[in-house]
Amino acid sequence: MRLRVVLGVAVVAAVSALALDMSGTAPRTAGSDHNSPVVFSAVIPGGGTLCQADSAPPSDTATAVLMVGTYGYAVPELGLTFLDATGHVVSSGRRPAGGGQGDVTIPLSRARGEASRACLHVGGVRRLAVGGEEGAVNSGDEIINGALQGGRISLSYYRPGRESWWQLLPTLSRRFGLGKASFFGSWTLAAMALLLVGVWVATIRLLLRELA
Amino acid sequence: MNVPVAGASGSALGGAGPLAGAGAGVSEAWGRVLAGARRIPRAGRICFLIAFVNAAIWGVVVPPFQVPDEVIHFAYAQYLAETGKPPPQGPLPQYSPEEQETLSALSFFSVIGHPQMHGILTASEEAPLRAVRAAHPSPVGPGGSSSVTNQPPLYYALEAVPYWLSPSHELLTRLAFMRLLSALMAACTVLVVFMFLRELLPGWRWAWTVGALAVAFQPTFDFISSGVQGDNLLFLTSALTILMLMRTYRRGLNTRRAVLLGVVIAAGVLSKLTFIALLPGIALALLLLAWRALPEGRARALRLLAVSASVAAAPVLLYALLNITVWHRGSPTAGGVAGATNSTLASGNVVTLKESLDYIWELYLPRLSFMNHTFFSKDPVWEIWFNGSIGHFGWLDYSFPAWVYSDARDLFYVLAALAALTLVRVRAGIARMLPIFVCFGVMALGLLGAIGYAGLRYRLNTGDQFEQARYLFPLLSFYALFIVLAARGLGRRWAPVLGGALVVLAMAHGLFAETLTISRYYG
Repeated sequence: MRLRVVLGVAVVAAVSALALDMSGTAPRTAGSDHNSPVVFSAVIPGGGTLCQADSAPPSDTATAVLMVGTYGYAVPELGLTFLDATGHVVSSGRRPAGGGQGDVTIPLSRARGEASRACLHVGGVRRLAVGGEEGAVNSGDEIINGALQGGRISLSYYRPGRESWWQLLPTLSRRFGLGKASFFGSWTLAAMALLLVGVWVATIRLLLRELA
Repeated sequence: MNVPVAGASGSALGGAGPLAGAGAGVSEAWGRVLAGARRIPRAGRICFLIAFVNAAIWGVVVPPFQVPDEVIHFAYAQYLAETGKPPPQGPLPQYSPEEQETLSALSFFSVIGHPQMHGILTASEEAPLRAVRAAHPSPVGPGGSSSVTNQPPLYYALEAVPYWLSPSHELLTRLAFMRLLSALMAACTVLVVFMFLRELLPGWRWAWTVGALAVAFQPTFDFISSGVQGDNLLFLTSALTILMLMRTYRRGLNTRRAVLLGVVIAAGVLSKLTFIALLPGIALALLLLAWRALPEGRARALRLLAVSASVAAAPVLLYALLNITVWHRGSPTAGGVAGATNSTLASGNVVTLKESLDYIWELYLPRLSFMNHTFFSKDPVWEIWFNGSIGHFGWLDYSFPAWVYSDARDLFYVLAALAALTLVRVRAGIARMLPIFVCFGVMALGLLGAIGYAGLRYRLNTGDQFEQARYLFPLLSFYALFIVLAARGLGRRWAPVLGGALVVLAMAHGLFAETLTISRYYG
């Protein structure tokens, strides 16, 4: 009896903690351009523009986040635009001047179609360092005011507002099946969750039988 | 039960020919396996199944190649599966074109080490991966040097089986099947831990299940078990060796046990060279076992010792010979021992013995005043070993919030006190087991020393930290024993209750490690 009570309480506590944890809300990622902000890979002069080959942000993107260094000044006005191969705007957004260096957020319009490059325009007259990755010069790398240089800036995308993990579950299920063997799919997360429930049930039954 | 049926079937199909004989032999062997499995208590078999399914779930949760070093372990296994021999090594590309292009399509190099990078999150981001699948790049690479190509090939030879059994030749499908073999090894390790506790504590029935399940839900163990990683066979062979030594210590050395000991020792050395660090303790244990067999005749004891040693040595010598004569891998251990023990650094400086001893000491114990070298800014006992076993996941790029480690440390103090209480209570029983545990202690010291010895050289050569908590997992059997001793700390009546609660805690620990992993890669 004692064992049943202790195991019951322990399982309820664990499941409650999980439910509580999953109920917490926060901004959730929509993806990135797969460049990590490990160094300041570009310095853009005031009034200048950096363009690099990039695809459109995911369709559920509401904001883009960049890491910037301002040399002690306020962040200048920033404009971010995604263009397709013909130069048409696929998605865009701007952030007014103000605030300190670090991660800055630029609201973006919903992407309409495929993009081939992203361009960051820096307003004002002061230079701005942007976080990304360095590397040898490749054709898809940063072009600052028309000059190609090695490296790519990092763009992280976020979904609108704040969401709990419960709200994100359908998206998580979809993502869970990607980047794996082709027989996995959006069913996989739910299947794994069910299997895990089965593991827990089997374990508790075993404990009740062997420890009683 | 199956033997006569299979034998009859073989006769009907092939008469009395050699194939029929081979079929009957396989059936007989399978029958013996089944009979052996039936002798395992039902609880042990269920622990095995639970551990297998749990590790298999981990294998789906963790994205491809996000287990530490999985890229190079897979590359070794793929090379061996495709060519039938271990990688030749040398300054050549490490990966096959198929693996290299898959890694690029997965944005692998952007994701590892960068917790804010998530890999493929949308169908359009998966397009490059689909293009790689459609292009069928070559699965045969040149087998260039990596940090695992100088290891023996046993794990990789076993992984070649699911590689070829995979219904699709596509790399990620093969990887998924190969991961299942690692999960199977994890389940076998859990079962072996169960059997070890049964052998050591035959009167504590509850303890076998509690200890085995504590290992089954250990999240760092599960994380490693989720990937194609040579450590999985090392964990299994180490646990098997400890079980066989304990079993032989209790039941006596005979020919069968001498042969089995030799087989598991050979399998251990051929799984990963780290196993060599356990050999001094194992040798001491074999001497102890032979000494205990002396009353039945000196000649018999020496013969059994020789049987064990020769069964262990023969496959290892064959491997060494193949390295030199057939595979041309440079040296008997393919550079594996030299790579970890070379005292001359890339810079030309030489590591002194005193430096090595200081480092090994400071890796596990507080620095003493006369030690000239200060290697660690944070106490490695907590930072590397304890926190690492609670969970540093991925390519060591994501962890639990800090309070988890702090609370776990408080819990550890309580459990250690309870375990100490139990040791005091059962001290009479300990005296009987002391000799074999001294041997286990020498095995553990050998492992700790080897980790430090190789770790210092790696650190001085690269500037990076070498040590990870998983390097201690060849001693998982003693982790299970610690949990069981702690559970017994409140006395016999409360032991199953506390043991059950600790298992649920381990399950919750594992569950939150999985949700952390899901948020890291998909959230």
